[in-house]
Amino acid sequence: MDIIESNIDKTNKEYKENFKHYEKLVKDLKGNIAISQKGGGEEKIKLHKSRNKMLVRERIDILLDQDTPFMEFNTLAAHGMYNNKAPCAGIITGIGLIHGREVVIVANDATVTGGTYYPMTVKKHLRAQQIALENNLPCIYLVDSGGAFLPMQDEVFPDREHFGRIFYNQAIMSSKNIPQISSVMGSCTAGGAYVPAMSDETIIVKGTGTIFLGGPPLVKAATGEEVTSENLGGADVHCRKSGVSDHYAHDDPEAIHITRNIVENLNRPEKTHLDIKKPKEPLYDVKEIYGIIPKDSRKPFSVREIIARIVDGSKFHEFKTLYGETIVCGFANIMGYPVGILANDGVLFSESALKGTHFIEMCCQRKIPLVFLQNITGFMVGSKYEAGGIAKDGAKMVSAVATANVPKFTVIIAGSFGAGNYGMCGRAYEPRQLWMWPNARISVMGGEQAANVLLTVKKDQLWRKGKELTKEEEKAITDPILKKYEQEGNPYYSTARIWDDGIIDPVDTRTVLGLGISASLNAPIPDWKPGVFRM
Amino acid sequence: MFINYEHNNHVYNVTIEHRDKYFFITYDNTEYKVEAEETKPGQIKIKIGDRFIKSIITEGEKEKYVFVDGEVFRVKPIELTGRKKQKKKEEGDLTSPISGKVVSIKVKKGDSVKKGDVLMVIEAMKMEYLIRAPFKGKVKKINFKEKDQIEIGQETVDLIKT
Repeated sequence: MDIIESNIDKTNKEYKENFKHYEKLVKDLKGNIAISQKGGGEEKIKLHKSRNKMLVRERIDILLDQDTPFMEFNTLAAHGMYNNKAPCAGIITGIGLIHGREVVIVANDATVTGGTYYPMTVKKHLRAQQIALENNLPCIYLVDSGGAFLPMQDEVFPDREHFGRIFYNQAIMSSKNIPQISSVMGSCTAGGAYVPAMSDETIIVKGTGTIFLGGPPLVKAATGEEVTSENLGGADVHCRKSGVSDHYAHDDPEAIHITRNIVENLNRPEKTHLDIKKPKEPLYDVKEIYGIIPKDSRKPFSVREIIARIVDGSKFHEFKTLYGETIVCGFANIMGYPVGILANDGVLFSESALKGTHFIEMCCQRKIPLVFLQNITGFMVGSKYEAGGIAKDGAKMVSAVATANVPKFTVIIAGSFGAGNYGMCGRAYEPRQLWMWPNARISVMGGEQAANVLLTVKKDQLWRKGKELTKEEEKAITDPILKKYEQEGNPYYSTARIWDDGIIDPVDTRTVLGLGISASLNAPIPDWKPGVFRM
Repeated sequence: MFINYEHNNHVYNVTIEHRDKYFFITYDNTEYKVEAEETKPGQIKIKIGDRFIKSIITEGEKEKYVFVDGEVFRVKPIELTGRKKQKKKEEGDLTSPISGKVVSIKVKKGDSVKKGDVLMVIEAMKMEYLIRAPFKGKVKKINFKEKDQIEIGQETVDLIKT
């Protein structure tokens, strides 16, 4: 394969400024993640430990094979929401290795409001299940939760994508031979009781694990019966009498040990075969990405410089280099896995969309995973382009992306605006994973454009009444919109609401994509069935 | 998979295919059916026909040393992947790459400019496009003023080579 030749000047003032600016972005990101990973705070942690319970991250640590990575999702879920009372949204999810096989882990953090489910907790739990379903990965639930967060019941209980969906997913996955395993290591109350009950195999810890539909206070109120939690729904009741649980553990480490034994005996199918090469680091220092991404997001940069720092050996077999130049397409390897890369290098024109579509078709036919490096300000607008049929060419690309049979991965490396987000495999197009870089911005259009559109609409309305706006009045309309777009386009706003799977340091992009592709190979790649392309 | 390596100034072209538990190695139009196993890192056990070979391989900086029955073979892999990409567009041109609005003009008529100097900034689709001098020259005429609409392919500045 050909090697991408880098053309950056590291002595350049702009490069140095960009680098410094980006280092700050990464430092902020790591700071925010560290705060989030602390969970519910020291007091709650102390209380949790005094009950002879391990912390959620300690549990995950001993559950996974030693010295193997844990690919965590949505560490910054609920960031800045619920008065900052729900770090990580009170639940830890991710992919890890047990006995050499990839599994999805969903683990409640009882130090965060007793592990109860806020709206974002539900969303994060469901997202992890979706990842398990798409990638054919067994689910391990480390349950320690008081159930729904009652003050917000209207946002967690009744709708299609709310609490009930968790158990629906468990049943559907179990029916597809995606094993569902629960280890009850704390409360498992009311709706939460269905997590272990709906599992294929369940473990419960004596003394701390309890499963019941109604806790002692509710039982007393309803029937007058007085009973302790342990006698109502402890390990002895469920392992010896009710049969709700299958395995009896005396403490957390034993429960984890049994969980590992269960996974050891799952008899998982072979992974999908790809032509995997020996992984090779890029020829250029990955950290140089910091200096390549301009501080000012309106300034363009060459995406080939980014590709050169993501793919193995900086080797790239480019497709249609001279046609539709605003999208760069080509084949490469990431951590040894073959991939087809689509990366924006400017606005999408008809030619770029057609080139992208052609390239996706080849990857679908050859069963090569797709990687989208998204930096897109949109499809080109204007009468010339509309008349040229940019809408139908964009539609072809969107259709190809939507129906693609291969695993798709999206990294938003800068802007993600408008229909460009769709053509480049935004969240709605079900990439197996979608990651953001800390400099990323995402919104339906740019703030300035939105403000101008709304201002024009308002002016037209007033013009019909024979009125005009003063400069101050104009500012009063545009300023709040600019502010709103700036706030909501921020990657932290996005990641808090689980519009992505997390914000990553660009340096980690290779590893994250490699782990993602590896996990995706647990599911077979079906043959491609495209839709009707509007010609 | 094709492997090319050099030994004693001779280049060997070998094809290796992995089917079932066998490696089928083709060299000089002959196919060998081989079983191979890495017993420890760097140590392999090979079975060709009814012959067993044990070998230790150590990695040098650019070559590998293969030890077989007390003999050392120095083997150097050859990469046949050298085609380097041509640098894209050595020189920019003076036409607008996109339809948009001229947001700023960095030079005046009569100015001398160096190669790479920014002459004009055009904004379209939320991005800034810089028009840079493709060579050292003198500004003869600026075809647009700030806030003008510019179409794709239109000449931004007339520049005379100096």
